[in-house]
Amino acid sequence: MGRLKVFIVSYDVSDPKRLYRVHKTMKGFGDPIHYSVFRCNLSDKDKIELIAILSEIIKHDEDRIMIIDLGFACGDVDNRIDLIGVHPEENNNQAIIF
Amino acid sequence: MDGEEVPDLIPARMLNEFTYCPRLCYIEWVQGEFEDNADTVDGRFQHRRVDQSRGVVPDSEEIKEFNARSVDISAPETGIICRLDLVGGNGKSVTPVEYKRGSVPDVEGGAYESDKVQLCAQGLALKENGYECSEGMIYFVKSKRKVSVPFDDYLINRTKELLDSLREMAASGKIPPPLIDSPKCIRCSISGICLPDEINSLRESEKADEGTLQVRKFLPARDDQVPLYVSGYGQLLRKKGERIEIWSKKEKLGDAKIRELSQVSLYGGVSATTPVFTELLQRNIPISYFSYGGWFYGFSQGNSHKNVELRIKQFSVAGDNEKSLKLAQKFVNGKILNCRTILRRNDQGVSTDVLSSLKKLANDAESSENFRTLLGIEGGAAQIYFSRFNSLLKSQDEWFLFNNRNRRPPKDPVNAVLSYLYGVMVKEFFVTLLATGFDPYLGFYHQPRYGRPALALDLMEEFRPIIADSVTFTLFNNGELSESDFICRGLGVTMTPEGKKTVLNGYERRINTEVKHPLFGYKVSYRRIFEVQARLIARVLDGEIDEYPPFLTR
Repeated sequence: MGRLKVFIVSYDVSDPKRLYRVHKTMKGFGDPIHYSVFRCNLSDKDKIELIAILSEIIKHDEDRIMIIDLGFACGDVDNRIDLIGVHPEENNNQAIIF
Repeated sequence: MDGEEVPDLIPARMLNEFTYCPRLCYIEWVQGEFEDNADTVDGRFQHRRVDQSRGVVPDSEEIKEFNARSVDISAPETGIICRLDLVGGNGKSVTPVEYKRGSVPDVEGGAYESDKVQLCAQGLALKENGYECSEGMIYFVKSKRKVSVPFDDYLINRTKELLDSLREMAASGKIPPPLIDSPKCIRCSISGICLPDEINSLRESEKADEGTLQVRKFLPARDDQVPLYVSGYGQLLRKKGERIEIWSKKEKLGDAKIRELSQVSLYGGVSATTPVFTELLQRNIPISYFSYGGWFYGFSQGNSHKNVELRIKQFSVAGDNEKSLKLAQKFVNGKILNCRTILRRNDQGVSTDVLSSLKKLANDAESSENFRTLLGIEGGAAQIYFSRFNSLLKSQDEWFLFNNRNRRPPKDPVNAVLSYLYGVMVKEFFVTLLATGFDPYLGFYHQPRYGRPALALDLMEEFRPIIADSVTFTLFNNGELSESDFICRGLGVTMTPEGKKTVLNGYERRINTEVKHPLFGYKVSYRRIFEVQARLIARVLDGEIDEYPPFLTR
């Protein structure tokens, strides 16, 4: 799993329709931690795909997206994030068994 | 295969690939295998504007300026078909423009030969269609710069020469050897399929016979993805946007991101909606079906696999007794040696007699004369191995005693866990073999009858002791499985749903463990090793390496 990096993606989208599409796309790449803020574990390829898809959705003169690289998922990423209050549990790329 | 089977028109893009690396061209074009990586995805993204066709190329004699994007053109005489990213001109005098995502390379002329040749092929196609074309341009997206490429006699001759050798390669039906220690391989998206360094060092070692080979580490993208298991009665999988949701009656149990999934396994009475199936099949994520008890029924797969060549070779080797026996010997040899290692590591009371007789049987397997003696050797080794299996279990609680291997139904908890795990493993190898282009039903050691996925069983042999057996005694020894996880019903023993989940968790933990490949010296997960071993069988069938090297743990 060494090649996955953790990214924080946040966005401001002015139109509700585009906002919904951005949110839906983001749900496929990561987990929402706040409104309009996602944590994503992505490979290089995933990141480019995400940027490509989002670039097609948003209006570049009205909306904005910020992507912050927090480094490799297996490193000390979690030490760099302090969570206060209620937060969902972290998905750590293991088999999903129901 | 004869030359007539090569398509008349060769895509100019393939000429580019061929010039870059003939093996890449062969794997992608002839065998139909492809894997995306960051570079290829970015390439498509950077290409998106030129990929939308716009504008028309005038075909009359009228003279006017024009620009057209994404134009398809074919030239039967030259034997080329291509898509021009951009073509601009004035009347009959035109210039093709090829978009490349990177920056202008630091080479003579400002462009790589592979790109120049591709462009020149486009020029030849334009000329054959009656246009005047004496040069082309390459636009480098990152540098935002155009480099002009004149179509001089040298380039034209070189292009025709390469087209001829491409044709020859495709007609020969023989995969070109990998590049040797080339920097091109590091960023190549299919290095995980091609295995350049692995194949080169195996070929070297067949000549020299050394220990661990020094091999660069190529990681395939598949290691990032995770399997989804759902078991139970009445559960329903639904697609919601980019995720799959798992519902039980009116309650949502959870969800999974589709792009994160490597495979989906459904146990018992689980259902899924058609959108879930079509989405998974489109993304080439295989779906396996099991009975509630873990019996592997079958699976669904999208139509993405095209490697017919490999299957033809597989069938021809499976029909050849001598070649099949050679492979079978390696599977059995690997299995016995791995059984021996498990005992040596975990069974304190094991006698040197047992170890040396296993060693001897492993050697005998390699020199066995026919399948019957090989089967006998395997049976003998299994008997010795399972006679020691009880001592691998730390707790001597009567409930967990293991006397002998039995199944259908398993008569004690240890056998129940072993049977369940063998079922999961068959699925794992089934899916891996499909993903690498094999037909899992036709094997070299196991006979292709009674609906058994014989090749999956073949490849699984060497991994049984180090995966299933090891997970079994670890789960019991760690106290993760207890009496309450089993149901004793008359003749047989089954597991409770909780017990099964514990076993699956243990299995996943095990195959995600990173281990050092004993031959190549790099550290990768067992899951990836399964794939590497399957691809090594493919290379034996290709005739690139003589002997299949089983995965031997240390």
